Amino acid sequence: MIALTLAAMAVVVFASRYLFLEPRLPMELGPKLRRLMGYATPAVLSAVIAPMVLIHQGQLNSDWQNPYLIGAIAAVLIMLLSKNTLLSTVLSMLIFVALKFWLFA
Amino acid sequence: MHSSKREIWLGTLAMTPLSIAVAPWGFLVGAYALEVGLSPLEAQSLSLFVFAGTSQLVALGLMQAQAGFVAIMLTTLLITSRHLLYSMALRDKISPLPARWRYGLGFLLTDELFVHTPSNDGKPLNRWYALGAGLSFYIAWNLATLLGIIAGSSIPNLTELGLEFAVVATFTAMLVPMIRSLAIACCCATASTVAVLSAMLGWQAGLLLAILSGMFAGYLWEQVSEYLQLKRPWGTPSNQEEQA
Repeated sequence: MIALTLAAMAVVVFASRYLFLEPRLPMELGPKLRRLMGYATPAVLSAVIAPMVLIHQGQLNSDWQNPYLIGAIAAVLIMLLSKNTLLSTVLSMLIFVALKFWLFA
Repeated sequence: MHSSKREIWLGTLAMTPLSIAVAPWGFLVGAYALEVGLSPLEAQSLSLFVFAGTSQLVALGLMQAQAGFVAIMLTTLLITSRHLLYSMALRDKISPLPARWRYGLGFLLTDELFVHTPSNDGKPLNRWYALGAGLSFYIAWNLATLLGIIAGSSIPNLTELGLEFAVVATFTAMLVPMIRSLAIACCCATASTVAVLSAMLGWQAGLLLAILSGMFAGYLWEQVSEYLQLKRPWGTPSNQEEQA
């Protein structure tokens, strides 16, 4: 089942990268659909992050001692201040680990 | 032949900063895949054949959450749909090339390669340069995955050291610079809210629903605010500037 999923994913990803490079393809995406698709990536990222941060064991966790929440806020702030992906990723992970295994442990 | 080799190296060199920055990502994908239950071979195959960081991580997250095949495929389709825009932008330059070049560069067409491939400068594509940039990034991604697999299989509790948060950290760092307009902010807020509510209710299709709601919310916001700005004479100049 995993092999099938991997193969199908590979096909879907390659098809999306290749589709419009094919010279025999006559059509183009309309401007409306193009604009709608521009929102796909931020929508996907938000929809993945939010439950990981706020839902634990099926329950809403908005406690200020939630290390995921504080870590995510830290990641946003560091990213806004430094505009450095690597720095934000590493620092917010360190903050998360410090909170989870040390301060709130 | 001599100049093509040189172009490959120039492409590799230009891509080096991104190849380094992507290493923690690749490492995470390798280690996380083992955590989710993939074998080392399957984990490496994911990077070798799918070669799409966001799709790989989200798919692994869905597998961990016991999501079904259809949910994984539809989500992959949504995440990867932005690549349609890249291939469309590069259509004029790549579609006249021989088939093996089209397939090769198409396979390597990541967000990172697109950043390094000018689409509207009026010049023909430097295929060897693009190959060097794309291929070196592919190798870096797979080496990082391999390191993650090795570390993940020899250090058993690696994933309990907050690896799940690494997904949040990297996605947040990718997301923040993307929020350049109120429409995108509206899209993110809607997607987050729907995703959290669906997770509380235990809905399987929640992620998909959240993504689609977010996309339509952003699009709707954009359309409404453009309509309102066009109706106001003082809103017109800045609106035209933005569209230019």
